[in-house]
Amino acid sequence: MGEAEKVFISGLRENLIEDKVITEADLDPNFAAEIIRYGGKDVMTCLQCGNCTGVCPISLKIEYKTRTTIKYCQFGMKNYTLGTRWVCATCYRCFEHCPADLNPAEVMIALRHIAIREGIIPPFVKTAASNLLRYGLTVRPDAAMLKERQRLGLPTAPSTLPLWESVKKEIATIIEATKYDRLLGISAKEEGA
Amino acid sequence: MTAEELGTGSETPGREAIGVFICHCGTNIGGVVDCPKVAEIASKFPGVVVARDLKYACSDLGQEEIRKEIKEKGLTRVVVASCSPRLHEFTFRNCVAGAGLNPYFMHMVNIREQCSWVHMKEPEKATEKAVALVKMGVDRARLLTPLSPREVEVEPACLVIGAGIAGIQAALDLGEKGFKTYLVEKEPSIGGHMAMLDKTFPTGDCAICILAPKMVEVARNRNVQILAYSEVVSIDGYVGNFKVKIRKKPRYVNEEKCVGCGVCAEKCPVKVPNEFDLGFGTRKAIYVPFPQAVPLKYTIDRDNCLYFKTGKCQLCAKACVMNAIDHQQQPQEIELTVGTIIVATGFDTYTPIRKGVYKYWEYKNVITGLELERLINAAGPTGGHLVRPSDGQPPKRIAFIQCVGSRNLKLANRYCSRVCCMYAIKNAQIIMEHDPDAEIAIYYNDIRAFGKGFEELYHRVREEYGVEFIRGRPARLVRDPVTENITIRAEETLLAKITEREFDLVVLSVGLIPNPATAPIQKMLGLPVSDDGFLMESHPKLRPVETAIEGVFICGCAQGPKDIPDTVAQAKAAASAAATLMMRGKHIVEPLYASVDESRCVGCGLCTELCAYHAIDLVEKDGQTKAVVTEALCHGCGTCAAGCPQHAISQLQFTDQQITSELSAALSRIKVPGGVQ
Repeated sequence: MGEAEKVFISGLRENLIEDKVITEADLDPNFAAEIIRYGGKDVMTCLQCGNCTGVCPISLKIEYKTRTTIKYCQFGMKNYTLGTRWVCATCYRCFEHCPADLNPAEVMIALRHIAIREGIIPPFVKTAASNLLRYGLTVRPDAAMLKERQRLGLPTAPSTLPLWESVKKEIATIIEATKYDRLLGISAKEEGA
Repeated sequence: MTAEELGTGSETPGREAIGVFICHCGTNIGGVVDCPKVAEIASKFPGVVVARDLKYACSDLGQEEIRKEIKEKGLTRVVVASCSPRLHEFTFRNCVAGAGLNPYFMHMVNIREQCSWVHMKEPEKATEKAVALVKMGVDRARLLTPLSPREVEVEPACLVIGAGIAGIQAALDLGEKGFKTYLVEKEPSIGGHMAMLDKTFPTGDCAICILAPKMVEVARNRNVQILAYSEVVSIDGYVGNFKVKIRKKPRYVNEEKCVGCGVCAEKCPVKVPNEFDLGFGTRKAIYVPFPQAVPLKYTIDRDNCLYFKTGKCQLCAKACVMNAIDHQQQPQEIELTVGTIIVATGFDTYTPIRKGVYKYWEYKNVITGLELERLINAAGPTGGHLVRPSDGQPPKRIAFIQCVGSRNLKLANRYCSRVCCMYAIKNAQIIMEHDPDAEIAIYYNDIRAFGKGFEELYHRVREEYGVEFIRGRPARLVRDPVTENITIRAEETLLAKITEREFDLVVLSVGLIPNPATAPIQKMLGLPVSDDGFLMESHPKLRPVETAIEGVFICGCAQGPKDIPDTVAQAKAAASAAATLMMRGKHIVEPLYASVDESRCVGCGLCTELCAYHAIDLVEKDGQTKAVVTEALCHGCGTCAAGCPQHAISQLQFTDQQITSELSAALSRIKVPGGVQ
């Protein structure tokens, strides 16, 4: 992108970029249909009132908002939405407040489904799956957690699922049968062994 | 009429001469269905002497062809396969009548909406279906019987229910046209919601200043009789001849004697909240709701009057120089006969839910739009000086929240109430005019400024008054326990930022809902209701004030939310439609009613319960109970005929034999020579 610089007398500088417009080439016209296929059935119905953003505990803490995400989806801006959207807590407060009775959280979940299938997989997703296969727990107690438990006088948390050995094989079989491992690029056979 | 007389195939096939006309409707049908082929196949059906396809059967040319064939071939029955009977049944009935056939010897088959339009991508199957539909029509046409329409007299009098601006305008128009009109209002005064408003958008006319002259005019019109403080008890009868019972509630004040001087109210010791001011102001136990009331007659509120509570007081009676007070007054029953009825029962405003996010029931400084109208109204409890309920201080920072109770699929109503955008904008202007230092923010979803002069007003409040528009639906309202101020959190969607701002007063722009008082009237008349709960018109575009019940018309917000200009226009339309009926003096009733075979009827009364239009009564005849159909009321829906365990009821033009013949044709295999599979 060819850059230019506007310099004002006595000093203000402003960077100018090339003319920037979003064209149809930047958009995926089938994006909404894809979201609907993965469970975000309300995506096109949204009227953009912003109630969901206002009630969202996460939107207060991040730059992209619930409503804006939906708008990106409606518009077909696939590339802008797939990298993130994992921070949604799926608390469903947006669903509770939506005057149009839509479920924005389901759209967020659909975006994750699509991202995974596009190969945009955050490391923690793989780690969680791998942990599940190895220990029966997606999130294992870490050192900080164990220390805190000790301070509170609580017993040490187990680092595997109780009775793990007896169900280990079953979990690996199910994950392999559902092809979840291949979707994430791991192997249930190897990890679960 | 007995089943035999209705025609049960007594005509021999040799005497039949059926003509079949397949309409192309341009490409609407012809573009999908192979019309010449359908005609060719139909020409071989038993009894068919001519089968042709026509480019436009409804055109003058097409109709001429049909008439020509009737005359030349001596047709006894005609089948027209074209569009919906709703569109052109009348046209083709007239057409065959022009050639000397009984109009009810024409049967219409719908091969457009029910065939070509729904099977656009399957032309061959559509053609096959068209053939089957035509075969059904031909088999049915064979059994059609001659019918003739009936006329009923129309009493040249109208009952207008509800005396808001809609009812007042309709009654005024009918009175001016010279028809006797009864204007019924359940409240002590006519005027309705419009009398409560401060100013009207978009022009800023003072509502009562433009309404009061109309109220006086309607009271003065010698053809209009106002029945205020009265309720409709029952409505019987049918178009042209409705029998109406009205109960006039006792005012405990003799209307003939009362001159409205108000001395009684001055002396009355009881003060109660005034409903007209939505509880913000007070009135006495003997009162007129507002100074411009029509009729200007005082009313004693029985629930609060000391005399009715304790048997003592009578201060009003002692004060009244006209001796008008009458604590012994009784309700009065009035019976009327009218030819037409206009329902103008108006609306109610949406009441925010108890545990809602907008805290209407918890925070004093959250009020509704209608409450604001009273608080800024010069004739209101504060003399037009806006104060907030918590401390009586004038608010500086005011927020409006739009779409409360409207456009909400979860908690309230799906529809747009059509007035809230403009009343909020109008009220913002009034507040800014009174206090140029006020800061006003309107939280909106979409601004709907669609009417004449609306967009200009929307522009003016931004340009001249600097009213701020925030596009976003507030998510949370929090009250400061000390100041009672309210902080609104909302996303300003155009910035995609979450904002929090503090206000002194929050106004909820509540939407309109159907008036609960409409329900009993709707049940008495058997009027259909739309999905939104408002009364349903016959056709949303082309019959906007007519209803499914002949002789009953609707106007104003009873039909759906609307502003004053639209209400007045609709009221005038309803008056005009009612007048058309009454001017003719006679109404033609379609002969498609239910007919009872008395030899079979056992008087069980099931049909009277099934009938949605109260058209069937049980009558004693020679010591036996028989069902009798009031033909003018019958809509020909056929429910009674289907429900009668004795098969004693026939639905003319839809007799069991006729329908069975159609079904047999539908279920029989039609051999289609030459390709259609």
